[in-house]
Amino acid sequence: CKENCTGNINLIKDVQHFTEHIKISELPQEVESALPFHVEPRNIVDDDPQERVSAEAAILNSRVHYYGRLTGSSDRLLSPPNHVIPGPEEIYVYSPLGTAFKVSGTDHTSRNPSIITIFAIWNTMMGTSILSIPWGIKQAGFTLGILILIFTGLLMLYCCYIVLKSRKAIPYVDTSDWEFPDVCRYYFGKFGQWSSLFFSMVSLIGAMVVYWVLMSNFLFNTGQFIYNYAHNVNMSYSEFGTNGSDKVICPYPNTDPEGNSTISTLYIGNSGNDTDVNSFEHWWSKTNTVPLYLIILLLPLLCFRSASFFARFTFLGTISVVYLITLVTIKAVHLGFHLEFHWFDTTQFYVPEFRLFFPQLTGVLTLAFFIHNCIITLMKSNRHQENNVRDLSVAYLLVGLTYLYVGVLIFAAFPSPPLFKDCIEPNFLDNFPSSDVMVFVARTFLLFQMITVYPLLGYLVRVQMMGQIFGSHYPSFFHVLSLNILIVGAGVLMAKFYPNIGSIIRFSGATCGLALVFVFPALVHMISLKRQGMLRWPSALFHSFLIVLGMANLLAQFFM
Amino acid sequence: MKTIIHQLCVTSYLYDELIIPSTPSKADVLLMGKSGSGKTSMRSIIFANYIARDTRRLGATIDVEHSHVRFLGNLVLNLWDCGGQDTFMENYFTSQRDNIFRNVEVLIYVFDVESRELEKDMHYYQSCLEAILQNSPDAKVFCLVHKMDLVQEDQRDLIFKEREEDLKRLSRPLACTCFRTSIWDETLYKAWSSIVYQLIPNVQQLETNLRNFAQIIEADEVLLFERATFLVISHYQCKEQRDAHRFEKISNIIKQFKLSCSKLAASFQSMEVRNSNFAAFIDVFTSNTYVMVIMSDPSIPSAATLINIRNARKHFEKLERVDGPKHSLHMRMR
Repeated sequence: CKENCTGNINLIKDVQHFTEHIKISELPQEVESALPFHVEPRNIVDDDPQERVSAEAAILNSRVHYYGRLTGSSDRLLSPPNHVIPGPEEIYVYSPLGTAFKVSGTDHTSRNPSIITIFAIWNTMMGTSILSIPWGIKQAGFTLGILILIFTGLLMLYCCYIVLKSRKAIPYVDTSDWEFPDVCRYYFGKFGQWSSLFFSMVSLIGAMVVYWVLMSNFLFNTGQFIYNYAHNVNMSYSEFGTNGSDKVICPYPNTDPEGNSTISTLYIGNSGNDTDVNSFEHWWSKTNTVPLYLIILLLPLLCFRSASFFARFTFLGTISVVYLITLVTIKAVHLGFHLEFHWFDTTQFYVPEFRLFFPQLTGVLTLAFFIHNCIITLMKSNRHQENNVRDLSVAYLLVGLTYLYVGVLIFAAFPSPPLFKDCIEPNFLDNFPSSDVMVFVARTFLLFQMITVYPLLGYLVRVQMMGQIFGSHYPSFFHVLSLNILIVGAGVLMAKFYPNIGSIIRFSGATCGLALVFVFPALVHMISLKRQGMLRWPSALFHSFLIVLGMANLLAQFFM
Repeated sequence: MKTIIHQLCVTSYLYDELIIPSTPSKADVLLMGKSGSGKTSMRSIIFANYIARDTRRLGATIDVEHSHVRFLGNLVLNLWDCGGQDTFMENYFTSQRDNIFRNVEVLIYVFDVESRELEKDMHYYQSCLEAILQNSPDAKVFCLVHKMDLVQEDQRDLIFKEREEDLKRLSRPLACTCFRTSIWDETLYKAWSSIVYQLIPNVQQLETNLRNFAQIIEADEVLLFERATFLVISHYQCKEQRDAHRFEKISNIIKQFKLSCSKLAASFQSMEVRNSNFAAFIDVFTSNTYVMVIMSDPSIPSAATLINIRNARKHFEKLERVDGPKHSLHMRMR
């Protein structure tokens, strides 16, 4: 019946065309009601009796309809070429419901002005690594940290620039819908395709694990705040921190073996009812139970077939970052600056300006400035393509300034005399107690934002992995469910046993940065220059040095 | 059935000629040109053939098999790529040359106006003409300068005139008729209509009779279509019509309709369209033609017009049979 039914519909359509084209001014009522839909003749744009459809347009329409029946829908053999189609100002779109409107004369792909592109890049790059920048600066030393941030930013900007250029340098092939993994496949064959996929997965799954740890953290703190607020529990004496209204705490103080033990750790028991609080702590633990509660919420979300619903919430990310910047500013104003410059020696409260742990900062920054696997797609919608390099540089500058601002302010405002600079946590929000209202709001924002981004990341992982291995984006519910269980399991295990997001970020950043930021772009650039015969030895030296830097970055993560 | 005819064919080849008086003999219409010049698209559009994407990917049109496109009763359309890069095709073409060019009624040669190798194109054209002179000297030759939409509008006439002069000169002693065509304007339809017009035997007599018929039944317009392609062979109109492209539009619509009908394994036979202003009748006419009659007086009942058409049909069929096909009675199968 299916065959017959479509055939019949086509027959009706053909009859409809026939009656339209031959000569119609009005049809008798009974015939009108029998037709599937009836378009009033010709002039339905305004009341002018003059026909608006020109003879050429009518015959072109007839040809396009007819030729369209002669080939498959994807076959372009008989599609009208551009010089045959009238200009956009002459085209009207007729709807069967009896209206006509003009096609707006814009390009097929919507193009954005520079400012939107810059904002999109900034928004995409701003991730949770912003929480780890103060810790990274602390690990590298204040001065060295700032220098490294600027240097790494410039280096990654250059690598991003050569990624962007790489697609254009491929001759004779239509690369208009290629992304960087496709470029790798062109130069390195299957190996290039699979390895760029693998490293891309590393960055995505690394991000998802970090998200799980952070979500458990924020959920825990939010629950803690609400419980304490409801039960009027005062936790201030159980934590080691400053006194006063803007409390900053040191969650894991290690007694300095060299220094005086004048500051003793204060672990005063809770003033509240012991058994109540203890049972709450038993059921609401940051590492034991909260990560598991998240499974109930997030595993179903991961199994959705399409992620477009979650893409609507990207604005939450922007709000969170803006709120974090405001929070940091206010805290810095209240706490004041506490900076002392000890260049190479270790003191009790401060860290040296130059430290040997600086690779940890470079690892974090490699993930913080990472956008190389989607920069081509983001730049495609830029209205003035000749400004791509300028817009990219401005975006990197803004991102660098944001990170620098947050990092420097938190580091500088960290109240060092009672506390140690070494206390700055990989997630700087951990340095504020769960009773702090402003930080509670920040945690809640970030929690919501991460809950909406997590399924998006899961969707990206699923699409790329399932697409490459099984050929379809959703092979079956069980395939997708097993993948999701693996990812969620990794997150839960990390949250339970090793919730140090600084380490997770720096290892995954250095790994995926090795391939997608340093090695592949440099190699691709050198090979394309060589093929054009334009490879000079300073350029070759510099790009080889980039590759060495990338490898050193990864190796140093294991040793420092 | 096929094997029996094949055996007959083998024996006929041995005897070189086998005369079978009762079956109408077939003659070839050769559609030739360089590969990529647009022959497959042209055939598809004129004859309403679906083009499957896979066959095109093979590059050359490997049309070695007998084409099933038949028109004007006994003419069979064959496509050949002439002067392609494929050495297999070249060798096959050269070895089968006599077979291909024997019993040719019409040669339609397609030139791509954008071709960069004019010398080579002319060379291949000339070799085809030689073969025609040897094997079918009575064939009619038509040259189509195709893809004219790629040329700028103000230069089209000039370029076409140049090509036409060259081709006419090269074709001597045969006479060739040149057309400029493009699938994106009316020139393709008009060119093929002219070609078909020249192939109809006794077409002038047909036109006179058509006019008489139209006047008798008081029709606004009467059109005569070729059956397979719905190309307008001849028409009569009693007053000025507004739409100059109406023939092509009708042809397109009917061909789409036929495509839909064939999906249901049905074949189109006749159609009546009527409203308060007019009544139109499309019906089978003779063995090679369809007729379309447009009456602007809707008060005349359909039955009357249909009876008139039926009677006229008998008269016109007699006309066709009297001047039967002029071809020799040879049967060729490949």
